[in-house]
Amino acid sequence: MLSAKDLVVGYRRGRPVLDGVDVELHPGATLGLAGPSACGKSTLAAVLALLLEPWSGSVTLDGQPVRGFRHRAPATQRTAIGVVFQQPRLAVEPRWTLDAVVRAPLVASRRRDDGIVAELTEAVGLTRELLARRPHEVSDGQLQRACLARALVLRPRYLICDEMTSMVDASTTALLVRLVRSVAAEGTGVLAVSHDDALLEAWADDVVRWR
Amino acid sequence: MRETSVTKTSVTKTPVANADTFTGTRQPASALTVDRLSVRFRLGRKGKAGIVHAAADVSLRLRRGRVLALVGESGCGKSVLTSALLGLLPANAQTRGRALLHGPGGDLDLCTAPERRMSRQVRGRRIGLVPQSAASHLTPVRTARSQLAESMRHLRGAASRSDVDALAERAGLAPASLDAYPHELSGGMAQRVGFALALAGEPDVLLADEPTTGLDRALVDHVTDGLATAAAEDTAVLLITHDLAAGRRVADDVAVMYAGRIVEAGPAGDVFADPWHPYTRGLLGALPDGGFEPIPGHPPELTDVPDGCAFCARVPDAPGPPCNGDPEPVAVGGRLIAGHVPC
Amino acid sequence: MVEREVVDGSVREWRSAARTRAGTPRGGAGARARLRLGVGAGLLGVLVLAAIVVPWLWPASEQLFDYTQVRRPPSGEHVFGTDQAGRDLFVRTLAGLRVSLLVAVICAVGTITLGTVVGAVAGFLGGWPDRLLMRLLDTVNAVPHLLLGIVIVALYRGSLTAVIVSIVVTHWTTVARIVRAEVLSLRRRPFVDAAISGGATRGHILRRHILPAVAGQAALSAVLVLPHAVWHETALSFLGLGLPPHLASIGNILSDARSELLLGGWWNVAFPSVLLVLTTLATAGIAATLRDRLVPRRRSELAL
Repeated sequence: MLSAKDLVVGYRRGRPVLDGVDVELHPGATLGLAGPSACGKSTLAAVLALLLEPWSGSVTLDGQPVRGFRHRAPATQRTAIGVVFQQPRLAVEPRWTLDAVVRAPLVASRRRDDGIVAELTEAVGLTRELLARRPHEVSDGQLQRACLARALVLRPRYLICDEMTSMVDASTTALLVRLVRSVAAEGTGVLAVSHDDALLEAWADDVVRWR
Repeated sequence: MRETSVTKTSVTKTPVANADTFTGTRQPASALTVDRLSVRFRLGRKGKAGIVHAAADVSLRLRRGRVLALVGESGCGKSVLTSALLGLLPANAQTRGRALLHGPGGDLDLCTAPERRMSRQVRGRRIGLVPQSAASHLTPVRTARSQLAESMRHLRGAASRSDVDALAERAGLAPASLDAYPHELSGGMAQRVGFALALAGEPDVLLADEPTTGLDRALVDHVTDGLATAAAEDTAVLLITHDLAAGRRVADDVAVMYAGRIVEAGPAGDVFADPWHPYTRGLLGALPDGGFEPIPGHPPELTDVPDGCAFCARVPDAPGPPCNGDPEPVAVGGRLIAGHVPC
Repeated sequence: MVEREVVDGSVREWRSAARTRAGTPRGGAGARARLRLGVGAGLLGVLVLAAIVVPWLWPASEQLFDYTQVRRPPSGEHVFGTDQAGRDLFVRTLAGLRVSLLVAVICAVGTITLGTVVGAVAGFLGGWPDRLLMRLLDTVNAVPHLLLGIVIVALYRGSLTAVIVSIVVTHWTTVARIVRAEVLSLRRRPFVDAAISGGATRGHILRRHILPAVAGQAALSAVLVLPHAVWHETALSFLGLGLPPHLASIGNILSDARSELLLGGWWNVAFPSVLLVLTTLATAGIAATLRDRLVPRRRSELAL
C-alpha cells in the first residue's frame, strides 16, 4: 500500500496548497482524483511520486516509511512508483529517440531488458519506425504513449497518472487508459488525476472529488 | 469582379463542395466560404526535402449565427486552416483553391488578398481569433483593461471605460477583474480576456483554434458557451478542436477531418447521432461514454498520405458502410460523406 | 509566384503563401548569417594557417638582429617593415599571433572547464554549495580583472603559466553564470523528474541530461572568451608584465613599438594592430552566428 497521512504541502512561503490530506493507494485498485485546475491534485500526485517534499506528514510505501524525496529517496522506493506527466513534450529529453526514452529507466537503474520494452511498446502501439524518431518528429499523443511505456518499464507496483490524457485526443486517451487498466488488473495500484469527471467515471474504481 | 465570376463557375463545376448541402429550411447568410482549399508546405532549403499535405480540397461554409466545429486528431491539419484564413501561413507554404470572405463590398479571397488589406481590414476587424492559450497572448506588464482598451481604440477608433466593461461582460468577465495583470488571472479568466480581445473589433467571423486544450471541464463549458453566445449575436463561428465533447456541446454543424481531408460533414445532431464514416464512428467510440475503444494504428504522416481513402489504409475492415475508395466528399441527404456512402 | 504541376492530366496551380509581414524575417537573413560565418571562418583560418606556416618557414628571421636592416619601412623585401633591431616584422608579428592564439585557446578551454564545473555544481546542488560558489564568483568579479591579472602575473614574472592562469581566473565567472542559469532552469523540468523517478542518480542526470544540454552554451561562451583572452594577454604583455620579451607576442611587439611610433615607425604599430583586430572580428563573427543558431526556435516552419 502507498499511503500518505496528514500531508501539509506548499511551495515556498505562504499558505499550504494541501493541508491535512490522507490518501491510500491499494495494489490492483485505481483511485480517481477529480477537481478543477489549481486545486492541489497535481501537488498530491507529485508527493506520492516522491518528487516533492511535503512540509509535514508521512508517506509510507508497502509498510516502509519514506525518509527522503527526489534524490534522497532510495532508488528502490523511487522505482517502485511510475509517473506519467501532463505534458509529454516537457517530460522527455528532446535529443533522444523514443526508444532511448523508453529504455532510460533500465539504463539508469542498470537493469537488463527481458523483453519488457518490446511488450510495452507494442501495447502502446509504437512501431519500430516511430521508436527511431525524436520527440519533435512525433505528435503529442505518440509521445505520451512512449511516456507511459517508460513509466511501466521497471514494472512499478504503483503508477501515478497526473493529467495523463489532457493533451491527447480521444482515441489515444482510450488506448492509454486501457493499458493502465490492464496493469492495474495485474496488481498495480493506480492514482488517476484528471479534471475530466466523465473520464474518471469510466476509468477508476473510486473517484474522489475535490472542492 | 473577377473573383465573383470565378466563384460562379466553380460553383457549377463542383456543386458537391459548394452548394447548400446542409438543406435546412431557410439557411442564414454565409459569412465565409472555403472552396476546395489545399495547403501544403515545402520542406528543406529549396523545398526539396519533402512536401507536407496539410489540407487537401477542404470545403466549408461558415454561416452567421451558427457554430461549425472542425474536429479531428491532433496533427490532421485542421489548425493550418486558421493560419490560411488569416493570411499567416509561413513563406514555405503554398495554397490552392479559395477562401471567400463575404461582405457588403463583395467577396474577398483571403488566400490572395494583399497584406495591407488583411492587416487593415480583415484581421481583428472582420475575422477574430480566439487563441489556444490566451495567457501567452497577453503582455505580462500591462493590465487586462489597458490591453483591451488599446485593442478597442485601435479597431473601433475610441473606447470609453464603459465600452471596455461592456465588452468584458460579453466575454463573461467581471469588470472588476480587468484591473489585474495577466499573472494574477487564472487560466479560465485569461481565456476570457483572449475571447474579449477577439470580440474587440466586432468581427463577422470568429475562429477559435483549440480554445479548450488543458482547461478543466467547467472552463471548457464556459468557453464553448461563450462561442454559442457569440453565434447567437449573429457571428459565424469556426471551432477547431480535438475535444469531441466540447464540439458536441456547442456545434450546429460539424466537419470531421482526417489526414488533411474532410471525411464527413453535416448538421451536428445528425452526424453525432448517426455517424457514417468509420473514422467518425471511431472518434465517438473512443469517448469514455461511447465505448472507450481506441482506433487502432496511427494517422498517416502528412508527408505521405495514401491515395484513396486514407482511413481504410489504417483500419481496412472497420464496420459501417463499405468504402468506394473515393477521397472526395459527396452530398447525400443533406450531409457530406467521403468514400463510405451509406446504402 | 505560381507553381504548376500536372496530376492525372489536369493542371494544378499552387500559389506561394509568402508575403511580407511585420515580424517575419526577410529572405536574406539566413544567407547573410551564412556569409558572416563563412567570412569569419575563412579569415580566422587564413590567420591561423599563416601564424603556423610563416614562422616555421623562416624560423631564424624572427629573432635575428640584423643591424644593417634597422627601422626599414614596408618594402618588397620586408612587407611589414623591420623594427629597431632589424627583425622582420612580418615573421615576428605572425609568430606573435601564434603565441597569442595558443594562449587564447588554452585559456578558453580552461575557462569553460572551470566555469562549467562550477556553474553545473552550483546550479544542480543548490543550497549551501550554490551560495558558497556564487559568493566566490562575486568576490572575483568585485576586483577589476586587469588588476587581478596583474597581481597574479607580478607574483610569477615572465611565466607563460602565470599569464594563462591569470586569464582563466578572471574569465571563468562569465561561463559559470551562464551555465548555472541554464542548469537552474533545467533541473526542475519534468524530464528530470522522470529520470529521478526512473531511479537515476544525481551523477547520471548531470552526465546524461544536464551537461549535454549546457554544452552548446558553454561552447559558445568559449568562442566569446577567445578574443577576450587575446586582448587580455596583449594588455598584460604591453604593460611589460606578460610573456618574456624574447617570446614574441602581439602585446610584446606593440609594447616595443611604442617608442618607434615617436620616430615615425608607424608600421611597427599598424600591422600587429590590424592582425589583432582582424582576429577579434573573425572570432566575434563566428560567435555571433553560433549564438543565433543556438537560440531555441521552431524546428520546422510548419503551423500544423
